[in-house]
Amino acid sequence: MKQQQEIIESTLQFIQNQLSSEDDFNEQALQLFSYQYQYNLPYRTFCMQKGKTPRMVKTWSDIPAVPINAFKEVTLSCADPEKAEAIFMTSGTTKGIKGKHYHPTLHIYDLSMTLNFKQRFMKNTEKIRMGVLFPTEKELPNSSLAHYLALGMQKFGTEDSHYLINDNGVDIDRLLEELSNSEETGEPYALVGASFSFVHMLEKLKGMGKTFSLPKGSKILDTGGFKNQSKELELDEFYQLLSSFLGVDRVDCINMYGITELSTQFYDNGNTIVPSVKSGPRWIRTRVINPLTGEEVPKGERGVLVHCDLANFNSVTTILTEDVGIEVDHGFLLLGRVEGTQAKGCSVAVEEFLKATKEIPK
Amino acid sequence: MRETAGYLPDIGEEFKKKVLLFSEKEEVVEVEIPLLTEEQMSKVIRKVKKASAETLKSFSVMELVNIIDQVIDRLLDRNKPCRQKAEKLLSIVTGYSEELIRLGLTSYLKNFRKHELQRFLIEDLGNHSLLDEFQPRVKGGFSKAVGPNLITHVWSGNVPGLPLWSFISGLLVKAGNIGKVSSAEPLFAGWFARLLVEVEPRLSDCFAVVWWKGGDEERERSLFKQTDVVIGYGGNESLQSIQSRIPVTTRFLPFGHKISFGVVSNSSLDSHKAWHSARQAALDVTRYDQQGCYSPHLFYVQDGGNISPREFARYMAHELDNFEKRFPRRNLSMEESASLASWRQREEIDIFSNPHKEVLGNAANDWTVVYEEDAISFSPSCLNRVIRVIAFKRIEDIIPSIAPNRSFLQTVGIATSPKELFHWAELLGKIGVTRITALGNMTSPEAGWHHDGRFNLLDLVHMVDIESSAEEESERFAPYVD
Repeated sequence: MKQQQEIIESTLQFIQNQLSSEDDFNEQALQLFSYQYQYNLPYRTFCMQKGKTPRMVKTWSDIPAVPINAFKEVTLSCADPEKAEAIFMTSGTTKGIKGKHYHPTLHIYDLSMTLNFKQRFMKNTEKIRMGVLFPTEKELPNSSLAHYLALGMQKFGTEDSHYLINDNGVDIDRLLEELSNSEETGEPYALVGASFSFVHMLEKLKGMGKTFSLPKGSKILDTGGFKNQSKELELDEFYQLLSSFLGVDRVDCINMYGITELSTQFYDNGNTIVPSVKSGPRWIRTRVINPLTGEEVPKGERGVLVHCDLANFNSVTTILTEDVGIEVDHGFLLLGRVEGTQAKGCSVAVEEFLKATKEIPK
Repeated sequence: MRETAGYLPDIGEEFKKKVLLFSEKEEVVEVEIPLLTEEQMSKVIRKVKKASAETLKSFSVMELVNIIDQVIDRLLDRNKPCRQKAEKLLSIVTGYSEELIRLGLTSYLKNFRKHELQRFLIEDLGNHSLLDEFQPRVKGGFSKAVGPNLITHVWSGNVPGLPLWSFISGLLVKAGNIGKVSSAEPLFAGWFARLLVEVEPRLSDCFAVVWWKGGDEERERSLFKQTDVVIGYGGNESLQSIQSRIPVTTRFLPFGHKISFGVVSNSSLDSHKAWHSARQAALDVTRYDQQGCYSPHLFYVQDGGNISPREFARYMAHELDNFEKRFPRRNLSMEESASLASWRQREEIDIFSNPHKEVLGNAANDWTVVYEEDAISFSPSCLNRVIRVIAFKRIEDIIPSIAPNRSFLQTVGIATSPKELFHWAELLGKIGVTRITALGNMTSPEAGWHHDGRFNLLDLVHMVDIESSAEEESERFAPYVD
C-alpha cells in the first residue's frame, strides 16, 4: 500500500527531526488524522458521529479522542489486521475481551521507544548490565511491555544482562547473585520491570533481611502499577523501600507510564517527590480534560488524560484514557485510574449489580 | 456556615465533635456532628430505652400522630425558618438544585400529615388502637401490638429526608429510636428530632440521632446486642456486614439498593398522549438524578403505537433537555463524570456493530438517552440522568431477562390501559416487582406503601394475644362470680 509507506516515512522523519516546531506537530497530526479517517473505518464512523471530519479539524487538539475501551470493541487499524507484525493486547478485559493494538510494522514503535528510553533512562550511559523483572517476549508474545523490555535490554543492556523471572515469579537466587556481583565489582546495574514484581522482590528481600548498596550509576525503572498482582503500596513507601533495600537514590528510580494503546511512553525524572511529573518526547502531547464536556480543565485541576501520539500511525493518534491527572509545568501528574463509583443514593450502582449478576445461576 | 447535625438526649456530658465539609458552587457548609465514645453510647442507649418504656409508651398512638403532624406542618410551611434552612442546606450538602429539593420535600413530607399517617396505621393494623390497648379479635380473644424498646436505624445515601420513613414508623409503634445518619446527608433526621422535642418536650429522651464511621465493628456489635430491631439501608455488601454483627435474637430488616424501571404500552402511544407520558418519564429520571431506589434505570416501550419507541426516546430526550434548564443536574465528582462519559462512549462505540441503536445527548453530557431494539437486556444505568429506552413487542418477551434480578427489583412506572395494567401487574409481581405506579410518580410513593413489598409497622411490632380460653376461664375467678 503506497499510502501506508508514505505515512510510515513521514512519521519516521518526524520522530527523528529534533527541531520540529509546534506547527510541524500540528501538520503531522492532521496528516495522520486524514489518513486514519480514510483507512480506519470504525474510526471514521466514530468521527462522523462527532461531526468531526478532516475538513472540520484544524488543530491536533480537535482530533476526536477514542476511548481506550474501543480497542476492545472494534478493530482500529488502517492496515489489514491479519498482516500485522505484532498485536499488543491489554491486560485488563471487559467481559473477557482484551483490547488489541495492531502494528503493521514495529519499526516506528521501536524507534519511538529507543530514542525516548535513551534520553530519559539511559541518559549518558550507552550500555548497562540489566536485570529484567518481567517475562520474555516469547512467553508473552502479545504484551507490549514484554516487547518494550526486550528491546531495552537488546539495545542498551550489556551481554551479561538477564531475565530474573522464572516459573515461580522472581528468580531470587539469580537476583541476589546479580546484585552482589554489582556491589562487589562496582559495575552499575539497572533493574527494570513491572512494579508489582518489584513489590514481590521487596517482600523476599525483607524476608531474608538482605539489603544492598548498588554502585553509583545504578538505576531502577518500574512500570504498570500493582494491578491487584501484589500488595498495594503507597508510592512514597514503594520508592522509599526500593531505595533503602537497593541503595539507589530515589532520583534514579524512574517510573515509566505507558499504555498498550500507545506507541510512545512517558517518564519522570526520578521519584524524590511523589507523584512525580511525567512527560513524553516531542511526538506526543497530553491534554487534561473534563470527561463530561471534553474540554480542557484549567491548569492545576484534576481531569482525565487524553494523549495524541504521532507514533500511533496505524490505529488512532488520539486516545482518551481512564487515567486521572493534573497538568503542571513540564508535564502532568498521574493520579491513578478512575475507579468505579459507589452508589450515592439507594439505587443500585453498576458495579454492585455486575458483581451480583455474576452470582446469579443462569 | 456551620450547622449542627444529630440529636442526643441529655446525659450530662459533653460530646466530641466531628466536622464534615460540604461545598457546592462557592458555598461551604461545615456540619458538626457529635461523636460518642462507646461508654457515652451505652448511656444514651439506656436513657432512650428507659424513656421509651416509661414515656413514649404512655402516649396513645393518636397523640403521637398529632405531634408528628405538627412537626410536618412546620416543615411544609415555606415561611418557617426550619423549612428555609432545609431547602438551602440540603441543596448544598447533596448537590441537588434548590428547586428540586423544594418540590421533592413538599411532595415527600405530605406523606406524613395526620391523615396520611392514619392511612399507614390502618393499612398495617386495621385498628390503630391495637397499639394502645388489647382489642377484641374476630376469632375471639384479644390482641395488642407491642413495639420494641429500641430500634436502631442505619440510614444511607443522599436522598434528602429518606430517614423519615423508618423513623416515623418507629415512633408510631412507640419504640425508642437510635438512628445513624449517612455522611452524604447527615442533617434532616436531626432536625426532625429537634422539632419533635420542640412540639412535645416530654419526648426529649425517646430517641437519638448519631453518626459513627460505618463498619466500626465493636461499636455496632455492642449497639445491635442492645437493640430489638435493626433497620439497615445500603448496598448488599454493607448490609451483609451489618448482618454479621447482629445477634440472632435481634430482628434485622435490610433495605438493599434497588433497580426500578418503566414499561410503556402502545395503547398509550398515540400522538396526543405520548408527549405527556414521555414528559412524566423524563421527570422520574430527573428527580434526584435517579439516585432513589424507586428511580428508573430503563424504559421498555412497546412497538405498534402511533408513536414508535424510537420516537418516544427522542421525546424523552427533548423533555430531559427542558428539565435540565429548570432543574440542573447536581455537580458530579470526577469519578462520576468519568464513569458517565465512559458509559456513553461505550454505547456510542456499540453503534458500530448495532446500527439500529441511537445515542442522544447534549455536548455537555447533561443527560443521555440510549435507544435500542432487538437487544432486550436488563442492565442498570450509570445514573445521573442516563436512561435506556428499549423497544419490545410483547411483555412476555422482556419478562425472562428481568426475572433473574428478582432481589433488585422494586418500582415499575407504567403507562397502559386498565385491562393491561392488571395483566402486566400480575406478570411483574410474579418476578419480584413490588410497586406499580404511574409515570411521573415513581419517586413519590404514596402514604402507607409497602416498601420493598413489606409492612411499615407490622414488621416492627410483635402481637400479644389473650386467647379466648384465658378470658373465659378468668370469668370463673371474678369476685362477682355467681
